[in-house]
Formats: sequence, structure tokens, C-alpha cells
Amino acid sequence: MAAEDLPSEFDVVILGTGLTESVAAAAFSRVGQRVLHVDRRSYYAGNWASFTFSGLLTWIQQHHEEPLPEEAQDWSSLLEEGEELIHLSHSDCASIRNLQVFCFTSEEDEEEEAPNTTEEETGGAAEDSECADSTEEETKETGEEEEEVREEEEVREEEQTTPSAALRQSEPTKKKISYAQLLKEGRRFNIDLVSKLMYSRGSLVDLLIKSNVSRYAEFKNVTRILTYRDRQVEQVPCSRADVFASRQLSVVEKRKLMRFLTSCVEETEEQRAYNGRPYLEFLRDRQLGDNLQHFLLHSIAMVTEDTPTEEGLASTRHFLRCLGRYGNTPFLFPVYGLGEIPQCFCRMCAVFGGIYCLRHSVDGVVVDRDSNRCKAVIDSRGQRITCSHFVVEEGYVAADRKRVATPTRFLSRAVLITDGSILPSDSDQQVSMVTVPPIAAGCPAVKMVELCSSTMTCMPGTYLVHLTCQSVGSAYEDLSPVVTRMFRTPESHDQETCPSVLWCLYFNMTDGSGLEAEGHNLPSNVYVCSGPDGDLGHELAIRQAESIFQKILPEEDFCPPAPNPEDIIYDGDNTSSSAGGEEEKEENDGVAEEEKQEEEKEMLEEEKEMLEEEKEMLEEEKEMLEEEKEVLEEQNLQTEE
Amino acid sequence: KSGRELGTFCFQDTGVGKSSIVCRFVQDHFDHNISPTIGASFLTKTVPCGHELHKFLIWDTAGQERFHSLAPMYYRGSAAAVIVYDITKLDSFQTLKKWVKELKEHGPEDIVVAIAGNKNDLGDIREVPMKEAKEFAESIAAIFIETSARNAVNVEELFQKISKQIPPLENPEVDSNDSFKLTRQPAPSARRCC
Ligand SMILES: Cc1cc2nc3c(=O)[nH]c(=O)nc-3n(C[C@H](O)[C@H](O)[C@H](O)COP(=O)(O)OP(=O)(O)OC[C@H]3O[C@@H](n4cnc5c(N)ncnc54)[C@H](O)[C@@H]3O)c2cc1C
Ligand SMILES: Nc1nc2c(ncn2[C@@H]2O[C@H](COP(=O)(O)OP(=O)(O)O)[C@@H](O)[C@H]2O)c(=O)[nH]1
Ligand SMILES: [Mg+2]
Repeated sequence: MAAEDLPSEFDVVILGTGLTESVAAAAFSRVGQRVLHVDRRSYYAGNWASFTFSGLLTWIQQHHEEPLPEEAQDWSSLLEEGEELIHLSHSDCASIRNLQVFCFTSEEDEEEEAPNTTEEETGGAAEDSECADSTEEETKETGEEEEEVREEEEVREEEQTTPSAALRQSEPTKKKISYAQLLKEGRRFNIDLVSKLMYSRGSLVDLLIKSNVSRYAEFKNVTRILTYRDRQVEQVPCSRADVFASRQLSVVEKRKLMRFLTSCVEETEEQRAYNGRPYLEFLRDRQLGDNLQHFLLHSIAMVTEDTPTEEGLASTRHFLRCLGRYGNTPFLFPVYGLGEIPQCFCRMCAVFGGIYCLRHSVDGVVVDRDSNRCKAVIDSRGQRITCSHFVVEEGYVAADRKRVATPTRFLSRAVLITDGSILPSDSDQQVSMVTVPPIAAGCPAVKMVELCSSTMTCMPGTYLVHLTCQSVGSAYEDLSPVVTRMFRTPESHDQETCPSVLWCLYFNMTDGSGLEAEGHNLPSNVYVCSGPDGDLGHELAIRQAESIFQKILPEEDFCPPAPNPEDIIYDGDNTSSSAGGEEEKEENDGVAEEEKQEEEKEMLEEEKEMLEEEKEMLEEEKEMLEEEKEVLEEQNLQTEE
Repeated sequence: KSGRELGTFCFQDTGVGKSSIVCRFVQDHFDHNISPTIGASFLTKTVPCGHELHKFLIWDTAGQERFHSLAPMYYRGSAAAVIVYDITKLDSFQTLKKWVKELKEHGPEDIVVAIAGNKNDLGDIREVPMKEAKEFAESIAAIFIETSARNAVNVEELFQKISKQIPPLENPEVDSNDSFKLTRQPAPSARRCC
């Protein structure tokens, strides 16, 4: 490409295109700062990225390669008197480790494999022998992994001795999707490196709406919340409607749950008495029974057994607040995956004049010794670029310069491509959040998200399943026991009814919440952004971006609404002339409009609350009627006898 | 007539005349110093096509193409892509091939691709022979046309050709599944799926 030179002066240079950096970029550019936004990678969003299938395979390969020894370039000729250079890191490998890949499906379409065999029969031997090659090919990395493969082969051999070809019935079943098909349809996948959901009243959704960045993306509701309990996947009733419709709960349980949910909206003396004591204890003392206790602790509050009551209640309230804004659950998911979100903010930055350069890094920060401030950066092509502020993703900062929690915390991640939903229902297009409590003492609680193909993250006929937990061991150690139990893999036993894993990936990622907010050994106008954390929501990233913005521009509004395209009138030939003045007017319009819309929103919300109260009353009435009906039915039965 | 929105986007390196083509098509206007601050999310124009009205929503890149850093989100859900090159710059024809590859990798599968050789008013300093470009377009089953945004040559035709190639809508119901945009008002909430 004809290498155009970058301008040599900016207000803010931002390195890394993760969520935090991208939000900051949009915010700065929006209020007129000149922003240069670069990333050494060839794709947007860093550890927040999503990939097509082949894109993910490339990413995996890159993280297996030994990082080239970093030889610091000598840029001393670009420095002036009284300046020194802080070198930045180029290697991408520190934050990702323990990658393991398994393919459990056949390499190619096997034509001779009769498509008319039942699930049970294909489940065992036939399939397993098919995938031997691909498994080996996929996992030729480290010695540790070879061991894994061997283990699998043993299992396979055992299974092969069981007589499986007994009865071949003519009942047609769908053929298992081959690895070749996954590759062929690979563009239909958008596989996220992080797995999060958007709380419908969380700070990310609020920011997307406030800034109008939301216009660049579309969303889907998470349609149901599931939990894994007693080796069973169950649906968690979470809205009032769900509670009333639930078939798992008795009438008594329904009433208890409703009463509990209503009572915890407000903070009470009774609750305060439990401050500091486990939420589990609080729940126990409410005598809700095992069912409800499980739902409330694991699926609604999504906390562990030793989380203190005030925290458990706060999570429960947040969950309840988010219900009913867009759908039946508190969560949203972006169509095409989470990797879209940073890109949307980058787009907003570009619209307001931000300049984007991928495959382009910053080699070093030029520091003025006297003031200990960053004056400029040297980019990877040796260009000196003056800037007033430098925002950088933590991955680029050498370990001895940043302050992080010790020992380093990691997240364990697994990504599965499966051939069926974990809880089949009328619709095959469900988006499910699944909570999996620790399967044994000392094991982590696992958050799982199952995505269907209409989220545009996987090919039709497959599901994309993301598992995440705080790591205790390696991702494989932490998550494979859950996978083996809940899905069919060559290692699992008697799981004929579970969906099969076609392909899966395990890896660990540094937990971004380990980065300290302050105390880095860096100039005061250099700001470090953390990578993804393990929380389900996006609070950390948004909070961090806003706080960086406010440190630099305390007087400015953070991401005010961009004008709507509909509001920009093209009056015939006078299109490009009055750009400057127009812009200001548009900005004001935007603010006024926002206020109006805020008001409208408040009114609507009040109205909604009233309606909800009304609905509650009606529902209570209905409940009573239902009880009456039950009694009558009982009487009926007795008279029949 | 039923209306139908067609997401379309224009791309290539800076300077080939993308914005000028869009501006000519939508506003029938040409400006030698097109300002990046005009500011429109996308420009729209409606073209009749058979029994349908095609409303083109044309996304211009916000300059992210300048350093080859266009975000894949630009392609999402687009019905057509216009790849513009400058007939007076052989380089721009070479990078066109790179953009085609990028599109094949990241763009929607059934996207209609059009190649526009712009600035054909400057025939005397032409560097890209029409024949070569046409053959290349044929090899990738793309629409091909030479345009001049300046003299309003073939710009209308370019979009008409695209319009004709858009496959008729098969099942409008299935297409509008339950994804939505976030707005200030609570969305048409709780469209229950079960
Ligand atoms: C014919 C035409 C050519 C254009 N060419 C370029 C170009 O070459 N490079 C480029 O960067 N942009 C260009 N623009 C700007 C263009 O508005 C947007 O960048 C682009 O259309 C996509 O942005 P969007 O849909 O996200 O805009 P929107 O989100 O609708 O933009 C929101 C608002 O941002 C403001 N805005 C948009 N762009 C800028 C800007 N660059 N600086 C300050 N404020 C802005 C406007 O007030 C606009 O209404 C052009 C616009 C038009 C109409
Ligand atoms: N002679 C001539 N110049 C053109 C034509 N189209 C665009 N230009 C000029 O080429 C330059 C770049 O155009 P622009 O639309 O900004 O390109 P973009 O960067 O691809 O959006 C501008 O100076 C235009 O005036 C054309 O058809 N003929
Ligand atoms: Mg342009």
C-alpha cells in the first residue's frame, strides 16, 4: 500500500482497540480532540475481538508460535535533550495461555455413513473413530496435550469393543456436521474471545443509547435463563410472568418467590441485620426451600455461597431492575457478537475525525525527564508523533511498570461448537444464559452462554457455547469436567440425549480486574486500560473509560449524543458549505433533544410502574382463582370416587 | 409498490471518488473539495425497480479506509458493495483486488458487487485499460461500469444496475426476526418467542 504518512501531532494517541480504549477514543473525538487510534494487530478489539472460524484458527496458531525475541529498536536519534524513552511491549502472548483445541467430528463428509441411523447408535464407536485424525492434527502442540489425546484414544478403544451396529433402524436423523463443513461455513461464525452479556440497564447499554452509538448495531434478547442442577438443565423463572407460568414450582413456592422478590426491592432493617453474613444464610432463614434457594443464589444473584448478604441483595436488585426493559430476561446480546461493540465506538470516533491504523504500534513513549510527562510517542515505523495524552491497553505495558494484583489472576474460557441446544424447546432459536454452580467443592462456578444461529455467531444447525470462570487451574482443568457432564464428547458416558461437541477450544486469559487503577510507574499523562474482566456485565470497562476521560477533560460531557442523520437537512445545493456552524447547532439540538427524551422516558417509566402494579394485582387475583379451581377440582375428584 | 431498504457501501482507498459518486447520485452535485464534515450517517435515495421501490442506504466510510483499517462491522447486512477505483491510477486498480478479497472473506455471502472505474472524464491520462477491468469484473461475477462523478456520467446507471441484480425478496417475514436497535424509549418489549 502507498504508505501515507500520519499527521505528526494529536491531542490523544490511543494504543489498543479493546472496549475501554475504543469508548475513550469515541469520547475524545466526539468533543473535538484529535485522536490517533492504533493497534498492532490486524483486527479490531484485541482480546475483546470475535473471529470467523478460520480467523479463530489463525489466532490460535499465532498464540502457539514462540514470540520472537523482542529487540528494542534504537530510536535515540529521535530524542531531544532531557528526554528518555519508555519501550512498549510487542508480544501478544502474555495475556493468553494454555490453549487446547479438540475436534470431535469427522474431518470430511462421509458419504457412506448412512444418514439413517439413530442417535444412540452413532453416538458411540462409529463417530469416535472418525475423528481420531482430526483430533491429533488439532492438538499437536505441547506434551501435556498429547497426553490428553492418548487418554481419549483409550476411551475410544474401549467404546469400540461395545457392539454398536446391532440394530440399524430406518429412522432418519440429521448427519453430524463435519469439520470440513465448519471450515466451509466458517464465515458464519463470529466467535468472541470474551463472553459477556449486556445488562439492559447496565452502563454499556446506557452509554450506547446516550451517545447514539447504538445506531451501528442490533441486539437480541437473551430469551431464557437456565441452571444446571442435579445433573439436569432447568429453566429459571425470573419475571413475574415466568413465575406464574412455571410448571416446576408449586403454588406455595410461587407465592414465596413472589413475596421474596417484592420484598428485596427495598432495603429493610431485616436485611441489614445480615450485613457481612453470607447471602445463603439470609436465604435459608427465609425458608424458601431448596428449589428457590438455588434459583435465587445461583441464577438471579449469580453469586457464590459465601458472598455477603448486602452484595447478594444488590445483585438481585440489579437483576430485577433490568427485567422487562427489552425482554423476559435482564440481558441483551449484540447480533454478530460482542466484538461489534468496540468497532461501533471506533466508528463513532472516525466519524468525528479520528484516524485509524491497524497493524501499527507504538514502540515507545518519549518522556520529559523534568516534568515526567509524555511529550510524544514513537510509532513502529519510527515516526515521532507529538501528543498531550497517551492511552494504552495494559498488554503493551511491561510488567515492571504496571501494578497488578499478585498472583496474576486468570479467567478460564471454553468455546464449544455443538449440534444441539442444551435444553431443546419449541423454538430452536433460543439465546440462553446458563449458571452452573460448582460441581464439586473447590471447583469454580461457571457461567455459560448458549448462542443460536440467528445471533449470527454460528452456522445454522449449530450452537456456539461459551464457558467462563475464574481460573483455579488451567482452562481445561477447570471447564472440561463441566463440558463432559453437560455435553457428549468421547470422554463422556451415558449422555445420549445431550448435544454433541463438534469442536472446542480451551484457553486462559488474564483477568483485567487484576490491574490496579493507580500506582503505575508511568508518566502522569499516560493512562492504562485493563483487558476484559470476568464479570458478566461491562461495568469495569465503561467506568474506566469514563474516568480516563474525566481526568483529561473534567469539564467536558462524556459521549454526548451524536446528531441523528434525520435531523441533518440537505437543502439542495448548499450541502457542504456551512459545516462548522451547522455542527454547533446540531450539537445543541442534540442536547435539547436528549432532555426531552429523558423526560419522556421518565413519564413512560412511571406509567409502566403503574401498569405493573395493576398487573400484579390482577395476577394475584388470578392466583387466588387458580387455587380455588384446584380446590374445586379436588372436590370433583372426591365426588367421582 | 412496496419499499425495500438496501444497505450499500462504498469502499476503496481514499481519493478515488467514493464520496463524490455518492454525492452525485444522491444530490446530483459535485464539489471539488468535498468536506469530510458534511456529516450524514448515510445518504439515502429511492429508485423504482419493477414492483419494488429500492431505497439505497449508502454508507460512506468515515476515513477508516485511509490506512487500510476498515472495521468489518461496515459490511454487516449489506445488500450491495460498490468498489471504486480511479482509472488514472493503476495503484487503485491493484488495491481493488485486495478489497475484493477482503469482501469475499468478511462480507455477506450473497452480496451484489459492483466495480466502478471513476474519473473517466480524464481519459487522456488513463492508466487502467477498460478491457482489463471489465475482464476482471467478469471473473468475479461483478457489475462493471466506468463513471464520472464530475460530469454525471453513468452514476445513475451504476445504481440502476445494482438495483436490477438484487434478488427479489423471498420471505419478508422470516427476514425480520427479532433483533432490534436500542432506542431511548423502551423497545417494543417482550416479544415472546415461546
Ligand atoms: C458525500 C459525503 C462524503 C463524506 N466523506 C467523508 C470522508 O471522506 N471522510 C470522513 O471522515 N467523513 C466523510 N463524510 C462524513 C460522513 O458524515 C460520515 O463519516 C459517514 O457518512 C459515515 O458516518 P456515520 O454514518 O457514522 O455518521 P453519523 O453517525 O450520522 O454522523 C453523526 C454526525 O457526526 C458529525 N460528523 C460526521 N462526520 C464528521 C467529521 N468528519 N467531523 C466532524 N463531525 C462529523 C455530523 O454532524 C454527523 O451528523 C462524508 C459525508 C458525505 C455526505
Ligand atoms: N476529474 C474527476 N475528479 C473526480 C471525480 N470524482 C472525484 N473526483 C475528485 O477526486 C478527489 C477525491 O474524491 P473523494 O470523493 O473525496 O474521494 P474518496 O476519498 O474516495 O471519498 C476529489 O478532489 C474529487 O474532486 C471524477 O469523476 N472526475
Ligand atoms: Mg470519502
